[in-house]
Amino acid sequence: MTSLAFDYRRADSVDQALALLAEADPGTKVLAGGHSLLPIMKTRLARPDRLIDIGRLNELRGVNRLGDGGLSIGALTTYSELLANPAITVYGLLADVLPTIGDVQVRNRGTIGGAVAHVDPAADLPACLLVLDAEVVVRSARGGRTIALTSFFEGAFNSVLLPDELITEIRLPAASGDYRSAYRAQEQPASGYALAGAAVVIGRSTGGGGRFDRAAIGITGVGECPYRASAAEQEFLSSGDPAAAAAHATDGVLVASDIHADREYRTALIRVQVRRALEAAIERVG
Amino acid sequence: MTGVYTNTTFVDAYRGAGRPEATYVIERAMDLFAREIGMDRAEIRRRNFIAPNAFPYDNPSGLGTASGGAKIYIDSGNYEPALDKALAMVGYEDLAARKADARLRGKYLGLGLSTYLEVCGVAPSKWIGAVGEGWGAAMWESSNIRVHLTGKVVLTIGTSPQGQGHETTYSQVISHELGVPVDDVIVQHSDTQGTPFGYGSYGSRTSSVGSTAAIKAAGKIREKARRYAAHMLEAAPEDIEIDGANYSVRGSPDKVKTLQEIAFALDLAFDTPVGMEPYLDETAYYDPTNCTWPFGTHIAIVEIDEETGHVDLVRYVAVDDVGNKINPMIVDGQLHGGIAQGVGQALWEGAVYDDQGQLLSGSLLDYALPRAAWLPSFELDETVTPSPVNPIGVKGVGEAGAIASTAAVANAVVDALGPLGVRHLDMPYTPQTVWRAIQTAKGGQA
Ligand SMILES: Cc1cc2nc3c(=O)[nH]c(=O)nc-3n(C[C@H](O)[C@H](O)[C@H](O)COP(=O)(O)OP(=O)(O)OC[C@H]3O[C@@H](n4cnc5c(N)ncnc54)[C@H](O)[C@@H]3O)c2cc1C
Repeated sequence: MTSLAFDYRRADSVDQALALLAEADPGTKVLAGGHSLLPIMKTRLARPDRLIDIGRLNELRGVNRLGDGGLSIGALTTYSELLANPAITVYGLLADVLPTIGDVQVRNRGTIGGAVAHVDPAADLPACLLVLDAEVVVRSARGGRTIALTSFFEGAFNSVLLPDELITEIRLPAASGDYRSAYRAQEQPASGYALAGAAVVIGRSTGGGGRFDRAAIGITGVGECPYRASAAEQEFLSSGDPAAAAAHATDGVLVASDIHADREYRTALIRVQVRRALEAAIERVG
Repeated sequence: MTGVYTNTTFVDAYRGAGRPEATYVIERAMDLFAREIGMDRAEIRRRNFIAPNAFPYDNPSGLGTASGGAKIYIDSGNYEPALDKALAMVGYEDLAARKADARLRGKYLGLGLSTYLEVCGVAPSKWIGAVGEGWGAAMWESSNIRVHLTGKVVLTIGTSPQGQGHETTYSQVISHELGVPVDDVIVQHSDTQGTPFGYGSYGSRTSSVGSTAAIKAAGKIREKARRYAAHMLEAAPEDIEIDGANYSVRGSPDKVKTLQEIAFALDLAFDTPVGMEPYLDETAYYDPTNCTWPFGTHIAIVEIDEETGHVDLVRYVAVDDVGNKINPMIVDGQLHGGIAQGVGQALWEGAVYDDQGQLLSGSLLDYALPRAAWLPSFELDETVTPSPVNPIGVKGVGEAGAIASTAAVANAVVDALGPLGVRHLDMPYTPQTVWRAIQTAKGGQA
């Protein structure tokens, strides 16, 4: 199939993109790497009447160290650019996840901003960004705001982003203290997206008596959208036991069911992934 | 009789048409029976092989009866050496130790055998008629050869490749038959405006049936060239010796004409003996007397993650006997692709419908085709038992990989789950299917 006809505008600056978005109607879509948007336009699941191409806005590309040691990642930074950037190596789970996303072509085109904005229920990166306590910096002609990723996703393909807003950067706080992380997922064999994926960050503050007093567990492929499994996090903080924590991976979540994994199997599978991610994180530093 | 109309996918020819299914049933039955009577899986196959001195072998199924009472026999075979080679390659003796080692890693390891025998080179028209194909198929092939005045050979064939490299293999055969460089053979096919009639490429029949037609046409070219060389060299045709592209008078090796010189003179045709037509242009039709019967042993080794049900194909060994090989690299390519295709059926592929008949695996986002990264490096070896059916002794290889591999993987998966008490499981072995089988066997809630 081919997409329906649409109007195409290329933005030459962020300000111009924001101006175009300011006059946008709900049929307008931002085009970044196009690797989520174009496939659904071809199948006509998406039928935008106008695309605003931000692909050449180099001001949105690249990784910068912030004053507090955190990272600012431009929304248009591709998976490949991230993977090649030494600044991300402290976040072990990013080194786990990035090489598993799609294939070389997908990683050369797909952007971090697109991955966050699209809210695919099975995308790999959003679950990782959730446990890294990422923040989404957005701008519109009206001004700007910074949104914690934990309150950004609203449901499948749905976020709090308003139609005139553009994601300009993703911020990650510094990886500090005894910091350990990992990502474990089983692929849906046809699509390569996560059938069930778990991202974890755990940590110990100095003088905390050897106990892990930080735990973040992010899950993808399982619910309506990527989520933090807070009951599992609490269980890990109190017992330190990966298996006990994993048993709470889907508490309060309506687990998805499809031809690849019904509810029962997907529930079992995500528990395995959460436990293995926690075990892997405990084993390694970073 | 009940007629059924369906708008869901039905079984149809894919690669191997009928033999993958037959092989799957036979190989699964072998394993079930071996387990039932407590015999080693390799041993039960060994005991049931047709003995090497029993060829040509009359298959008691009766399938080999052609019209007019003529018979089709299994052409040639020697099955044990392929089995032995494959068992040695895979280290069959150490299987128990490797299973125990896998358990320490939370994996169930399984090994699956597939000692397939297939029928290909599908041919004799009188046989196809007798087994009641009913749609009036003939099974001969045809070929035309023209030798241009430049000495370039244009071979036009009735078979139609779908990417098997026929341009290369036919060129090799004709280069050998006419003594011209491979590069001087131009192979034309598939355009019905310019090719002779033929029945196509399927049933691994091109090399056995199509090449034989081409060899026959080359023989006619040689005979006409011999007669014309005799005319040019003022000798009797019987006294012309052919060595590659050189046609010389017996006992006088300096009296020689090349195929190109002959083609050139026959094209200009100002000096042609009475009754001889100009040009070297010959067509041949060929209807074989029999099919060909490749065979071999494939062995798959899988490891199953006991918690997720994920099946990992960790080793794949294939010892195939496809008779003589025209081009070993193309043979390997056919085997690689065929094996991958058969593994796909065992592990990933399936048309899934909901109870309303709606197709749920309707795009490649939901229907998983095999990918190179999921497959181990295939370990291939061979035995060579030439077929007596055709002049070059080929048996055919287009489908062998796909015929053998599905059953090998199926047997490996069931073998892996054997310790849990699983006797059989239906394909495809998706993680969910395998996980559920493990849960059920362990008496879990599933
Ligand atoms: C063959 C293939 C395999 C893939 N495999 C995987 C996989 O294994 N795992 C996985 O996670 N993903 C996978 N993907 C998806 C890929 O990661 C996407 O490229 C990515 O999720 C979206 O980024 P993009 O830049 O391509 O976004 P686009 O497709 O350009 O846009 C996606 C959505 O985000 C919006 N958007 C984009 N940028 C912004 C912005 N700065 N501000 C506001 N809105 C914005 C768009 O309007 C659109 O709605 C695959 C894609 C393909 C084609």
